[in-house]
Amino acid sequence: MPTVRLRHPSEYPAAAQKLFDLSRSWFNHDFAQPPAMSRVMAWDPGFGAPHGRAMKRAMMPGEFSRAEKEMVAAVVSGVNACAY
Amino acid sequence: MSDDAPWYEAALVVGITNALNVVADAFGEPGPTEGLLRPLDEGHAAEPARALFAEVRAFYDCAEVPLPFALMAHDPAYAADVWDAVKWAFSDRHLSRRLKEALAFAVSLTSRSGFGTRFHLGEMRRLGVGERGVMEVLGVTQMFSSYTKIADTLQLEPDMGDIAPVDRSPAPGGDPIR
Repeated sequence: MPTVRLRHPSEYPAAAQKLFDLSRSWFNHDFAQPPAMSRVMAWDPGFGAPHGRAMKRAMMPGEFSRAEKEMVAAVVSGVNACAY
Repeated sequence: MSDDAPWYEAALVVGITNALNVVADAFGEPGPTEGLLRPLDEGHAAEPARALFAEVRAFYDCAEVPLPFALMAHDPAYAADVWDAVKWAFSDRHLSRRLKEALAFAVSLTSRSGFGTRFHLGEMRRLGVGERGVMEVLGVTQMFSSYTKIADTLQLEPDMGDIAPVDRSPAPGGDPIR
């Protein structure tokens, strides 16, 4: 169980709703509600915005495709034993 | 990559990379266990080990046998089995060898393996990955080392598992689900 109460999307300000839209389009998936990590990142935009930009920059296709990078992300998460 | 096959391949790369790294880091990196087990000197090696060394050098196109294999070669039969698994795991199949080396680099970096980080960075470059590609893998590794720790600290529960469809195909050679 999370150590914090994850706020319902409606509890976030309008600026955060834009982040949730971006998240939906990034994953090309219509979530019932924004993923927990998106809601965590939207809690503090001073951190979440640059961190999200860095993530998108890192994940953009380059020498490696987005799919290949998702696989790199998955193995890093696995090695870190992160179930999320 | 919606099929399961590439993910099985990736997992095998992660596992065997870690297996090589733990041995090389324990006995080859500076620290209290450094040098406690010495690599087998090829000049004094018997035939099974010499043949293994030749195969390893050819696969990696290198003059010196990478440390984990030189350490394991004290037991040539064991080393040969591990080598077969390594060679199989890193060969081009659903995933390219180039991507597998990138995965191994990310794994090594994440698990703080000095040997693995150096070795797989070298392999990525040898297989044609440029500095931009190296930075891409570094960036993804770093970003997801951040996300995972944030998720763990807040004990977030997985909520993105249904993004991809489930692969209903059978195991290789098996019968489909009826």
